[in-house]
Amino acid sequence: MKLLAESSSKNISYYDSIDGIILPLEGYSVESTNYFTIDEIEDIVKNKKCEVFVKLNKNFFNDDIEPLKEILKKLDLLKVSGIFFYDLGVLQLHKELNLSVPLIWNQTHMVNNYRTCDYYYSKGVEYALLGKEITLEEIIEIIKKSKITSMVEVVSRPSVAFSYRKLITNYYKYLGKEGSNKLTIKEKGTDTNYDLYEDNNGTSFFMDVVTNGTGVIKDLYDAGCKYIIMREDGVPSFDELLSDTKNYISNGCSDSNYVEKYKRLGDSTNFFFKKTIYKVKKNG
Amino acid sequence: MDKKKVELLSPAGDLERLKVTMLYGADAVYIGGQQYSLRANANNASIEDLREGCSFAHKLGKRVHLTLNIVFHNEDMDGVEQYIKDVVDAGIDAFIVSDPFIISYIKTNFPNVEVHLSTQNSTSNYETVNFFKNEGIDRVVLARELGKKDIKEIIDKTGVDIEVFIHGAMCTCFSGRCALSNYVTNRDANRGGCAQVCRFSFGTDESEEFTMALKDMNMAEYIGELIDIGVRSFKVEGRMRSLYYLATVIGTYRNIIDDYYNNCLTPEKMEIYQHRLDRVANRETSTHCFNKEPDYTDQYYTGRSEVSNQDYLGQVIEYNKETKLVKFYERNYFEVGDNIELFTPNGDHIEFKVEKLYNEDMEEMDVARHPDDIYYLYLDTDIEIPEYSMIKVVTK
Repeated sequence: MKLLAESSSKNISYYDSIDGIILPLEGYSVESTNYFTIDEIEDIVKNKKCEVFVKLNKNFFNDDIEPLKEILKKLDLLKVSGIFFYDLGVLQLHKELNLSVPLIWNQTHMVNNYRTCDYYYSKGVEYALLGKEITLEEIIEIIKKSKITSMVEVVSRPSVAFSYRKLITNYYKYLGKEGSNKLTIKEKGTDTNYDLYEDNNGTSFFMDVVTNGTGVIKDLYDAGCKYIIMREDGVPSFDELLSDTKNYISNGCSDSNYVEKYKRLGDSTNFFFKKTIYKVKKNG
Repeated sequence: MDKKKVELLSPAGDLERLKVTMLYGADAVYIGGQQYSLRANANNASIEDLREGCSFAHKLGKRVHLTLNIVFHNEDMDGVEQYIKDVVDAGIDAFIVSDPFIISYIKTNFPNVEVHLSTQNSTSNYETVNFFKNEGIDRVVLARELGKKDIKEIIDKTGVDIEVFIHGAMCTCFSGRCALSNYVTNRDANRGGCAQVCRFSFGTDESEEFTMALKDMNMAEYIGELIDIGVRSFKVEGRMRSLYYLATVIGTYRNIIDDYYNNCLTPEKMEIYQHRLDRVANRETSTHCFNKEPDYTDQYYTGRSEVSNQDYLGQVIEYNKETKLVKFYERNYFEVGDNIELFTPNGDHIEFKVEKLYNEDMEEMDVARHPDDIYYLYLDTDIEIPEYSMIKVVTK
């Protein structure tokens, strides 16, 4: 099982100790708190000591298509390890341009069953980053039943929603004030905070609580999961976590001290052990 | 201009709404079955309902589209093939689907049934449409974030039938790209349980609460432009809306579309139509992204509330041409002497003064004050007044 990480800063030196990094491309990626230019990505790829994946996970519009083609061709030439995509226009262009760079299906809340994963596999998609709103049991079923290579995000502040609209700008305009591009909002019923980030692509919503999936890594390892992902934003002592996790995996996930140590990341396990309700009701 | 007439596609939360909206001029309806649909709180149709609804529609030369647009989990896949077969046997004309595996399955096994790509995919460019065109999709429902230029370019570059929303409630986030409901309420937004968290208000460190709810969409004034750029289907949102709302909205858009094709959509008529749409709405409206980037004018902010009126007075059960009595279910208070309006599925609008009013026992009354009770009122007219005609307040 390999460990991938996404940084919350430009400093990625300590990533050399792990298997790979994920770099969201500025202007072509959303739902991250840190982005890299294509030139920065090129430099990193040339000096890489690990796998380098690039995120292109925004919803693209017609005017984006021609520049997107050039970016895809460049990333193909750079031989990055893979491209995370949300918009199926990327899959279409990958075919039209006859590219060989591997693709990762990354439709944030939609990667939820093994048959659709297999559909994408049949279309040449090598990997799927599984949804964060399904249970560990469902994740393991996908890992075991699908031909696609599954990736599972185990430590992160989950991205919850994304709007094309500039919701923070609009809010401050209503207030008649100057504001920043960040805003924390509190959902009063659950007393839970959400962090909003706005850029030219729109507004991203994040939980302000870190999902601590360190306790499920062994289950994933035992199920044959090939990749787990950790995202730095909001996670303290991230370099130490990466190093410890890499060692934990190398030792067959048998060190109970690791799980004990990382209880410090909190007790939120997101939907790993909580099933969403409200499937369509059946009339009597 | 392509003279193949655009389709007016109505929501139908149940069999009654299916029938009523078709009577009011919908060319097709979209309806959820009891499984795999994104509106858990709509009544949703049984297989028997679908069979009856399809039979009703086909006799009128109209169509029924079935929503099968949840984002599937492993467990949802159990039984989906049998369900698809059952609803095809019931006679549906098209599926509305978001999952490409399901699209592929239907196109392979039921090639004679259309498959439409749900707006849940938030399709926003021509290359994505081309992907689904290659998968055999018959129609794409575009993202509500697109403007006129993008819609036209997609039509011109792909040749795929395009459906757009023209009226009703809007999501704040990209459809399918929002799990706020999952996180805040544990209700699965993408499997029919959306709790509409984007209509909540949230605390901040600022003086006023943060809200992000959107005004409803109303594209009435751009119907002609949408027809001219080649849109094939106009979708109205609202499977959980009332019969009165649907009758008004569908009937009004029927008028607008027909008048446009008949070159008689005058500014005066448009003013009347827009007034009808405004009166039945409980929120302010906007054309959102059609002619501009979305901005702060498209949203609601703290302190603004949704309002409803009491315009809806009754729903007609039948009209007796001999006695000149209209039998109806009462909905809101009115009294003898009031000026009221009755409109029919045929597009007729009759304004008159209430002269005589009776309860179900034919006792003469001064007022109708009990919702759902049956009343009669006297109306001397030669205009046909079918079942599901609506009685309302006169508003100018």
